Amino acid sequence: MSVGFIGAGQLAQALVRGFSAAGVIATHRITASSPDTELPTVQQLRKLGVNFTTSNKETVSRCDVLFLAVKPHIIPFVLDEIGPDIEDRHLIVSCAAGVTISSIEKKLQQYRNSPKVMRCMTNTPVVVREGATVYATGTHAEVEDGKLLEQLMASVGYCTEVEEDLIDAVTGLSGSGPAYAFLAVDALADGGVKMGLPRRLAVRLGAQALLGAARMLLDSEQHPGQLKDNVCSPGGATIHALHVMESGGFRSLLINAVEASCIRTRELQFLADQEKISPAAIKKTTLDQVLQQPGVSADAVGVRTRGISVFNSTNPRFKKN
Amino acid sequence: MFLIGFIGAGNMAFGIAKGMLSGNVLPVNIKVSAPSSTNLGRFQELGMSVTHSNPEVVCGSDVVFVAVKPHLVPHVLSEVSRHVTKKQIIVSVAAGVTLALLEELLPENSIVIRLMPNLPCLVQEGALLFARGANAKPEDGALLRSLLLCCGLVEEGPEAWIDIHTGLSGSGVAFVYLFAEALAEGAVKMGMPSALAHSIASQTVLGAGRLLRDSGKHPAQLRSEVCTPGGTTIYGLHTLEQGGLRASVMAAVESATERARELGRK
Repeated sequence: MSVGFIGAGQLAQALVRGFSAAGVIATHRITASSPDTELPTVQQLRKLGVNFTTSNKETVSRCDVLFLAVKPHIIPFVLDEIGPDIEDRHLIVSCAAGVTISSIEKKLQQYRNSPKVMRCMTNTPVVVREGATVYATGTHAEVEDGKLLEQLMASVGYCTEVEEDLIDAVTGLSGSGPAYAFLAVDALADGGVKMGLPRRLAVRLGAQALLGAARMLLDSEQHPGQLKDNVCSPGGATIHALHVMESGGFRSLLINAVEASCIRTRELQFLADQEKISPAAIKKTTLDQVLQQPGVSADAVGVRTRGISVFNSTNPRFKKN
Repeated sequence: MFLIGFIGAGNMAFGIAKGMLSGNVLPVNIKVSAPSSTNLGRFQELGMSVTHSNPEVVCGSDVVFVAVKPHLVPHVLSEVSRHVTKKQIIVSVAAGVTLALLEELLPENSIVIRLMPNLPCLVQEGALLFARGANAKPEDGALLRSLLLCCGLVEEGPEAWIDIHTGLSGSGVAFVYLFAEALAEGAVKMGMPSALAHSIASQTVLGAGRLLRDSGKHPAQLRSEVCTPGGTTIYGLHTLEQGGLRASVMAAVESATERARELGRK
C-alpha cells in the first residue's frame, strides 16, 4: 500500500513523521506533492525519505490512499486537477476543515461514478503519535476503507469514526485544542516566572503538568471533577488557585473557545458552499502556482474577477447546449 | 434510658427533639424549658414534659441541649452551672459560642460538646456537625451521634470546622433558597405561572438533592449525565458558567465562614 499527500505543509509533515515513528508505513512508500518547493516542510519531508514531486498527478498515479492536505480553499483546484486520474483503487481522504464529503463527491463525480471519499479531522500532535483523529465515511467508501484509515491514524494517536455532522465540533475541540494548551502552558509558565522560576524550567514544568494530568485522566474511569477534588487539600494552595480560575470565568472561556472555533468552521464551510471566496483569501503566489499545473485552468475552476466560484456545479467544460 | 433536656424551646430545639423522637427516645424522657409558654405547646402536643425552670431541666437530664440565642448563653449557664455534674453531657447549639467559653462558664471538668445543626433538622433532613470539648470522650460523641441519627447527617470534626459548616450548611440552606427562587423566576419569565414555577423549583431542588445524596456519585458526574450533547442543559450550564456562578458560590461560603469566625471571636 502506498500513501500520498496532496500538499506538503504542516499537516503532511506531521502525519509523515508520525507514521514513520510508528513504523506503520515505510517513508519510501509515501509521496508528497506541492507546487511550492520553498516550504520548509518540503525539506523536512525530503529528509524523511518521502518522494517529493511538484506534480499532484504523479502522487495520484503512485498512491492508493490520497490525503488531501491542502488548505480548504485550494481543495476545488486540486479536485479538478486530479479528478480525471482517479481510479477504483484510490481512497481520497480529505483533511480540510469545513469541506464536506458531499461537496468533494459532487466534484469528483464529474470524472468518476463512485469516488471513494472519506473525511478526517486530525490534529498536530500526530507528529508525536498523540493525535486525536475522527473520520467520516463517504457514500462509496467501504467498511474496509474505514478500517484501513483507522489503522493508519490509530498508529499516531486516538482515532474513531463519527457522523460527519460532528466534525465541526471536533475541529473546535481537538482540532484547535493543542493551541489552547500551548496558550495555557505559556501563561502557566509566565506565572511560574513571575513567582521566580527560570523560563525554561517553568515551561517544562507547565507542559509536564498538563501532560501528566491528561495521562491520569485518560487512564482513569473517574470524572475530571473527581480528579480535581483529589488534588485539592482542604484550605490548601490548589483550591485557592481554583477559586481564582473560577472567578475569572475559566470554564466558560474554554466553552466559548470551542464554540467559536466550531462556529467559524461552519462559517467557512458555508462560505465554501455559497461558492464565493474572495481572491484575497487565496495567496496570489499560490494561486499562480496552482494555475500553472497541467490540467488546471482559470476557466475550469471558475476564477472570476470578482469572487471565485469554488464549487461551481455548472463546470464550463461540461456545458450543455 | 437516657433523659434529655432542652433549655430553650425554639426551632432548633424542636427540630432536634422531633428527630430524637423518630429514633429511640420516648417523649416522656424529654423535658423542655422556656421562659414563656408560647413555644412550649408544640412540645407538649408530642408528649414531652415542659417547664419554666432551667435548673429543673438540668437536674433531671443526662444530656442537656443549650438551645437559646447566643447572647443568652452566658446568662443561662451561670444560672444552671451549680447543678451541672461531671456525668452530664452539655450540648450547645449556639452559633459563635466557643468550647472555650462554654467550659469557662461551666464547672471544671464538665463534658461539653458544641453542635451546629441547620434548619432542615425540622424535617429530619439536617446536616449536623459536632466538636467535642476537652473532657468529652469519644463515647460521649458516640452517644450524641446515636441520639441525633434521625435528625439527618451527623458528623464529628475539630472545632475549627464548625465555622465552615456554618457557612456551608447553616447559611448554605439560604443559598439554596435563593437559587430555587431564581429558578422559578426564570420560568416565570419564560411564561409559567409563579405558583407552579415555585412548586416545581422546590421539587427540582429536592429531587436533585436526593439523587446526589443517594447515588454516591460525584456531582460533576451527575451533571455530565444530565447533559445530552447539544441539548438544553449544556446550553443552560454554559450560561451559568458565564455568569461565574461557581466562583460566587465559593465566595459566599467563604464570606459566611469568615463572618462566623469573626462572631466567634467577639
